[in-house]
Amino acid sequence: MLDEATILERLSRAVMDGDEDAATQAANDAVGAGMDPQRAIMEGLAAGMAEMGRLYEEGECYVPELMVSSEALYAGLAILRPLVVQSASGAIDRGVAVIGAVQGDIHDIGKNLVKMMLEVSGLAVHDLGRDVEMDAFIDECMKVKADLLCLSALMTTTIIAIKDYLPVFKAKLPGTKIMIGGAPLNQRLADEWGADGYGENAMEAARVAIRLLEG
Amino acid sequence: MLCDQLSSRERWDALIRGDSLDRVPCLQFMLGHTAVVNGKPIAKAYDDAATSLSCQRNAMELYGHDGLVMHGWANSGGAEFGGEIEFPYRKYTGAPMMKRNPVQSEADAWALKVPEDFLSVGTIPVALEFSRLQNELGMPVTIQVGSPLTWAGSVCGEERLMLWIMKKPELVHHVLGIITDFILKKAEYWVKTFGAERLMAFDLCIETNKLYSPKQFETFAFPYLREIHDQLTAAGVAIFLTHICGEQNKNLPFWSQLSYGKRGMISVGKEVALSAASAAFPDCVIMGNVDPVIVQEGSPEDVLALCKASIEEGKVHPGGYALMTGCEVPPQAPPVNVGQMVPACREFGRY
Repeated sequence: MLDEATILERLSRAVMDGDEDAATQAANDAVGAGMDPQRAIMEGLAAGMAEMGRLYEEGECYVPELMVSSEALYAGLAILRPLVVQSASGAIDRGVAVIGAVQGDIHDIGKNLVKMMLEVSGLAVHDLGRDVEMDAFIDECMKVKADLLCLSALMTTTIIAIKDYLPVFKAKLPGTKIMIGGAPLNQRLADEWGADGYGENAMEAARVAIRLLEG
Repeated sequence: MLCDQLSSRERWDALIRGDSLDRVPCLQFMLGHTAVVNGKPIAKAYDDAATSLSCQRNAMELYGHDGLVMHGWANSGGAEFGGEIEFPYRKYTGAPMMKRNPVQSEADAWALKVPEDFLSVGTIPVALEFSRLQNELGMPVTIQVGSPLTWAGSVCGEERLMLWIMKKPELVHHVLGIITDFILKKAEYWVKTFGAERLMAFDLCIETNKLYSPKQFETFAFPYLREIHDQLTAAGVAIFLTHICGEQNKNLPFWSQLSYGKRGMISVGKEVALSAASAAFPDCVIMGNVDPVIVQEGSPEDVLALCKASIEEGKVHPGGYALMTGCEVPPQAPPVNVGQMVPACREFGRY
């Protein structure tokens, strides 16, 4: 039988290589070895994705590489996540997030990467997709009792939707932290408009999200 | 107020010829904003050739810009291959967007063909009408010719395209080849109809290094751009205007190898320093690179300060320099902010 360290290394490597088959095999091996599935996710799959994120931030890999890594990650998660029992084994439950690309915006590559990084960081993420009516964010946050709302916009016209609606979100969702991101946005605008957080890229967004929820 | 010695038309002509100028010209790529200041829906800048041209000319005169008047947008291509497009009539929309990409599967991609009746597909009829109107008015006739990789995102969907770049590169090359053939077929018609000497070919290219590596640019963007630029230059197209959108510093060595006819005009975003653009394109006009987000969200003083900095960095470029935003002027930018640019050229851009 394979030892746990080897399985974790194979899970991590499969994600970094973007190898779905290897991720599936390693995840099955983790199950067969009786590993704690949450540990296999966090120390195997998520560790590999975190390393890819680090390489992206250093300009050593690019979005297509992240895309294939995320496919491998989700292949492994499909096997391991159903086995995680939230109340046992110390599963990480960092909160509930709602995410979407705002009304008028169909650019969702960045949003999807943020979603993935939040998931591997231990959040339950409700993805509303793209071109999401602004009121739908409120409805969903109330429905799932969201701790975090993540708004993505990639156009100068759609960042106006965020600016217009941030006061509404703050008033109607007092218990929900609000993060914004997308190419035209920056920390200065996030501060001016009253957002709780801003992430320049998916990796930073996940770090900021954890800080907001643990702060 | 300092007076200009050249009219806008004279300044444009001098810039294209490489003659001396009275001051730094101000050129702008703006479609949606011109509709807004004319009290029209933004969509009219894209789906109605006559209204678009009229709005752009009115706005050019209002602001005192020296150009540009053109029809196109970065996310083109999908509609021409059978995708579903939405024009920006709804609140917060600012440019046409794909509702359904024509390629949804590998089989779709392998079956992709240049449409037989290519003049009637997607937005080509509007683009052709726009060019006819430009020609009647004696203006440069514009034609969008790229980039194929940017168009491939519109045809296939960005995420699908990126996964195929990693897993099915031969499929991506097939798609890029078809798109390139389409662009060249369209350009051939434009050359035949209007004459190569009347054309200004333009590229809007979003292959940023936030998305793609320089190696991926070299493999999937550069060969097709080179084919288009080489063929159009050989056909006699004299002016190329290329917008290198966003963070593309690592792609500059490839961009600088393309042919740009007799006069290349290179527009860069705020992420590319004008000094870097100057070094990469010593013989081309460079344009840029005022942050469009500041033009929308900043104060007039913020915009003026950015214009001053750009002008001071750009005006020493030997190939010629024009002040421009680093991407399209945001449709909802306050007119008072957009209106800072020509006064900045007059105050800080004297030769």
